[in-house]
Amino acid sequence: MTGLNPLKEPRPVAVTADDAGEPVAVVLGGRRLAVERIEDVWRIDDEWWREEVSRLYYRLLLEAGRPLVVFHDLIRGHWCEQSY
Amino acid sequence: MRIACVLIPHFPVAVERRRDPSLNGRSTVIGETPDQRKAVLDCSPEAEAQGVRAGMPLRPALALCRDAVFLPPHPSRYSDVFDSMLAVLEGFSPEVEPSSLGRAYLNSDGLARHYEGELDLGERIIRSLKEASGLVAGVGVAEGKFVAWTAAITSEPGQVCTVPVGKEREFLQPLDVSLLPASPDTLRRLDLYGLHTIGDLATLSPGPLQAQFGVEGMRLWDLARGIDSEPLRPRRCEETMSETLRFPAAAVSVEALVVACRRLLMRLHWRLRGRAVRRLRLRAALWGERSWEKTLTFHEAVTDWERMLFIVKSVLTNAALPAPVEELTIELSGITEERGRQSTLFAEKAGLRRQLGETARQLRVRWGRPLVSRVVEVEPWSRLPERRHALIDYEP
Repeated sequence: MTGLNPLKEPRPVAVTADDAGEPVAVVLGGRRLAVERIEDVWRIDDEWWREEVSRLYYRLLLEAGRPLVVFHDLIRGHWCEQSY
Repeated sequence: MRIACVLIPHFPVAVERRRDPSLNGRSTVIGETPDQRKAVLDCSPEAEAQGVRAGMPLRPALALCRDAVFLPPHPSRYSDVFDSMLAVLEGFSPEVEPSSLGRAYLNSDGLARHYEGELDLGERIIRSLKEASGLVAGVGVAEGKFVAWTAAITSEPGQVCTVPVGKEREFLQPLDVSLLPASPDTLRRLDLYGLHTIGDLATLSPGPLQAQFGVEGMRLWDLARGIDSEPLRPRRCEETMSETLRFPAAAVSVEALVVACRRLLMRLHWRLRGRAVRRLRLRAALWGERSWEKTLTFHEAVTDWERMLFIVKSVLTNAALPAPVEELTIELSGITEERGRQSTLFAEKAGLRRQLGETARQLRVRWGRPLVSRVVEVEPWSRLPERRHALIDYEP
């Protein structure tokens, strides 16, 4: 028995959000990095026929110019980062 | 030749009832759900009594039998149980012919001497099958396949019926003419002629039957007199090899299935070590405890796994699988000896690939697991990044 190993799997990440639910800071490698700018926001609702997926993606520019894509899982409530 | 026919009528229903005993005594129809335009694969005797027949569309089946339980078919499950049934029978005789699901013939010439007669042989077969599979068979022992089959089908489940040599015609005489392997049109015409029992047919002279029904008429006349020259065609024990892949999430796209097949065929190709293959069986475990399978027989023995993949891909593209696939298995059989192949004179690229393959193989041997991977597209159009690509082990 063998298997396929999916690439670009989401990884849980600690995100601080403001009252509107938008990310204001992200903890990466034990360091808290402030969000300088939200460059893009999009939502994906998919795979309702198996385990339903509903995600709100943010393309962020963190302090020191570091880019990062995170999403808020609207079903389970947690945050993940993901290469997009 | 003395032949024993081992018969489990309504085999798919019997298998489903063994799995779910609450179906016992209830009208059961195996096909799909009645809203689908598919045919009845099998039905229980209770449903049959209400007019349902195998092969009829599901909607009329629902109209005839409104209280029936409709189940999706599980071909892999049935063939697995049938294979185990054949294995049990091969413990009694080396010559076993699988006829159809739930029906097998075995050469019982001389076997009775090892037991206390043919009745004892039949009872032991029934007992062994029940212990191995939980299914109850009927057994008929007679000269020729047709008489053995009629003996099995007219006996109660769990019973043995033996027809002594020379008593075939007498045994068949009172039986309904519809037991003969004739086309529906022929059976209808026999009924119109007032020929209702096999005995009615046997008393006729062959001339009029041949004039009315041609070659089929002569064959029916022979069968009606208990003469069946059809030889036993035992299955050959042959080497098979299979590989299975379980998907992390049930696959719905043909592309994902093709990627999985590619992976499985590469592994099988490595195990084949240059030998060629005549048959390939694709088996899929589907979401909701369903299954699907398809057997492909190649026109000529194939050694090239990419050619196999091409054929498999076209099958998967045309097959409408009824549910997402959770697990996929490829089984190869009809494996033949190594064949010579003409290689190309200028094969630099092939040489590089061979080098890479050799390195990957050495790493695998050294570390006990594959260390080189290949990125493949799975569902490249998916909006979820993790669905688009996957890593598979690089197989040289």
